Amino acid sequence: MPRKGGLNDSWHKALLAVSMVSGLVTHAYHLFLYPLYTTDEGIYMQQAWSILREAKLSPYTYFYDHAPAGWLMIATYVAVLPMQFQTFGNAINAGRVLMLVAHVCNVFFLFQIAYRLSHSHLAAFVACFFFNFSPLAVFYQREVLLDNLMVFWVLLSVYLLTRDERRIVTAMLSGLSYGLAMITKENAIFFAPVLLSLLYRQVQASRNRRFALSYWSFAAWGPVSIYTLYASLKNELVPSRFNFSLSSPPADHVALLYTVWWQLNRNQGGIFDPHSLFWRFSLGAWLPKDHLILVVGSAAMLIALLIGLRNREKHANLLVASSLAASYSLYLIRGSVMLEFYVIPLLPFLALNIGLMLDHLLGATPAALRVVSTVLLVAVLSVPAGGGYVYTHNDKGQVAPQDLYNVPQTPMQEEEIAYVRQHIPTSARIIMDDDVWVELHDQSPPYRYAHSHWKAAGDPAVRDRLFQKDWQNIDYIVMSNKMRAAMEQNNGDGNEGWMLDAIDNHSTRIWTLKRGDVELDVYKIEHGGS
Amino acid sequence: MTDLLYVILAVISILLAVQGGYTLYLMIYTWDQPDVHERTKAPDRFVEPSLSFTVMLPARHEEEVIQTTIGRVVGANYPAELLQVLVICSADDTGTISKAEEKVEELRLQHRQGVDVVVFDDRPINKPHALNVALRHAAKDVVTVFDAEDDVHPEIFNIVNTVMAEDPVSVVQSGVQLMNYRDRWYSPLNVLEYFFWFKSTLHFFARYGAIPLGGNTVFFRRNVLQMIGGWDEYNLTEDADIGIRLSSAGVAARVVYDDRYVTREETPPTLGQFVKQRTRWSQGFLQTLLKGDWKHMPSRAQRLLAAYTLTFPIVQAALGLYAVAALIMMFEVKAPVLVALISYLPVFLLASHFMTAAVGLREFAEAHGLKASWGVTLGMALAWFPYQLLLAFAALRAVARLAFGINNWEKTRHVGAHRERRKAGEHAA
Repeated sequence: MPRKGGLNDSWHKALLAVSMVSGLVTHAYHLFLYPLYTTDEGIYMQQAWSILREAKLSPYTYFYDHAPAGWLMIATYVAVLPMQFQTFGNAINAGRVLMLVAHVCNVFFLFQIAYRLSHSHLAAFVACFFFNFSPLAVFYQREVLLDNLMVFWVLLSVYLLTRDERRIVTAMLSGLSYGLAMITKENAIFFAPVLLSLLYRQVQASRNRRFALSYWSFAAWGPVSIYTLYASLKNELVPSRFNFSLSSPPADHVALLYTVWWQLNRNQGGIFDPHSLFWRFSLGAWLPKDHLILVVGSAAMLIALLIGLRNREKHANLLVASSLAASYSLYLIRGSVMLEFYVIPLLPFLALNIGLMLDHLLGATPAALRVVSTVLLVAVLSVPAGGGYVYTHNDKGQVAPQDLYNVPQTPMQEEEIAYVRQHIPTSARIIMDDDVWVELHDQSPPYRYAHSHWKAAGDPAVRDRLFQKDWQNIDYIVMSNKMRAAMEQNNGDGNEGWMLDAIDNHSTRIWTLKRGDVELDVYKIEHGGS
Repeated sequence: MTDLLYVILAVISILLAVQGGYTLYLMIYTWDQPDVHERTKAPDRFVEPSLSFTVMLPARHEEEVIQTTIGRVVGANYPAELLQVLVICSADDTGTISKAEEKVEELRLQHRQGVDVVVFDDRPINKPHALNVALRHAAKDVVTVFDAEDDVHPEIFNIVNTVMAEDPVSVVQSGVQLMNYRDRWYSPLNVLEYFFWFKSTLHFFARYGAIPLGGNTVFFRRNVLQMIGGWDEYNLTEDADIGIRLSSAGVAARVVYDDRYVTREETPPTLGQFVKQRTRWSQGFLQTLLKGDWKHMPSRAQRLLAAYTLTFPIVQAALGLYAVAALIMMFEVKAPVLVALISYLPVFLLASHFMTAAVGLREFAEAHGLKASWGVTLGMALAWFPYQLLLAFAALRAVARLAFGINNWEKTRHVGAHRERRKAGEHAA
């Protein structure tokens, strides 16, 4: 760290402040308007709701699809808000404010990590610029997703590991932070080898290395052990009769280890399969939003990795930064099932590599030239001719702010909820998407029989007991075109068929709203005479 | 009623977890604070000897080891004229007196002066009384105490002379270490308790100015000892008591720990001896607590720290009872998941405690050029729970003895196991 009170220290603080404030602005501006509220955001808010209102991990059967630390954290935060889920207008907005806070903290961590690894303000500032302004990053980092909280814990862990002091308590807190990352989102496990090697590198010459290594590991294991103990206490650690068959899953109760086994065996094609989700998301969702952070970041990562491997002592810091990005990249390209937003944990580390490599390339150039280069880079990336990070060309070819700062999408969903509240009785049996779940359950009077189509298709308690898998037991379907696509995709085993049948053959559309590529509809299911 | 039981269980679990975390921190304090090691290790270069030392060797029924101990003290690398050695025995202990006088005579024949046997025939017959008797004969600048079975490092006086010359403290506590970690099932755990206590915990106490001193390898300026009236003859841990009284009087103590210069001792030879030693320590701490000298410490932090340390035997007794209750509840009580998760916290801390000990074993072995095999670690794991129960039993026994007004001194027997090992090692080498 720069010497306290010196010119370098003031410069450090100023750049850190600028980075944090710019992160605050890019993520806060239009936060409640863009992007559209998503299913996953709704699920995590719904599970946080369940913790606060029902003292359960989920309003439905919790089947260990994800460890619960993320929504426990959200619930804790919501609990202290003055109007809880309604403090910022609706539940997902409340969750997005937490993501904003997490992001600003993440900027602080990233800046400090980049500086500690490079001793360069240029590297730290440029890394944070990409992290704050990349449209791909802003898009997903605004959403209420476990990945964003996992990144917070991973960055905190790395931040603690890169501190100069070699205290055991610091190593322990880093381990604990990493343990919390793992029970926030399990794919944090892919950072483990790099974090351990970073820890080893930091403490290998210290007299407390044995304690530092064991306390880090033990603290990381702590949260995971509590999670497994929870499953064990509920008699849900192992499947009944140790049945790990993927073709005929155990039916009597859910099991943590079975879900882990099932997740490990899911595969939708890796980098060598052109139809894999990796390529679908890369080409269809990620690159169109921002190809720069992906292409330049990946190139920086590979070059840093090569330089680091060629001279591990001299360029150990490049090796650390590139390994952090590479370890998670391996997870993405190896071919497991993934969702669009799984790119989130990669972004801070791609940004880190860009910052460090730029600093490496500029080498010992004069300070003034480094400052001018940084300012030019920021300016070029912000305009349409460069990166289009702030201003870009819209559909009509005009220069306009990025959609992130310009297009209001979520008011459509608010109109949809308003329509439901006004025209549908609270006793109605509703199939819907998760994004409106908390709004229909937390507001008084609640819609007790409004359920997500995912649960109506997959959770026996909802599917078999309430709806009995019969379209005649549905009164309304509240949906978007994205929900329709998801229903068709999820209908491999036919469990969504009775709902699709209700929409296609027994319904009347009573409300619709279409803007751009988003369409929202409300269907009334006609029971009489069909 | 059941809900109340669960609330109590949760509260106890949280308190135990906090207590466990604090104890754990005391164990690793010196490794956690990088500057502590540098500040507290022995000086690398010694200044010219200037301070003179009176060495007190209280001995009772120590015929087997006393001559060797006297030999090691007078053989220290320090000018003979600056050393006074007093072997203190009660008149009824003719065996030890005879062996000690034999050694003194032998030294006289070698023209070594300043070694005397002090015999007392008044009561009580215990260590603090012996020390007070010897204090009247002490003539040097600094008074120090060694036990009859101690292996004193030859440079210890140079170290303390240098420390006191460079830092105007009136009390210096140096390290004591049990060495025979392979002898009994409880030996490694006992050895590690000493290791963590002297290498880490005492530094924490010294930093906050509330230090229960050890029973030997402790050095006092003579005038300070005389100022506070010597040792409490009716306290079973006169060492901890004098530490608390000195802290209350605002006398700063410095802890010097260096693996190279520790005084070597042995674990009690039998389980019965071990329990008696532990009972005495626990009872002594409680006596010191009840005496209340700690209430006169200048700051609240010091008072809290002293009160916690002296109350620890009660905590230990409670832990033992809780461990038994927890075992029963594990099979008999179906607690709600949240309560069960909270009650897991002390278990996690206990596991951390064991892990710390396992790492400590390696640190100990490395510091003393020994080899810590996985077999010893496995043995420690098996001994862990019985050892905790043993400590709790001794603590309960101490509470009971205190309640019934039984205050006699249950002396620990010494057989010189640490010396046998060293000799064997030297012989093999």
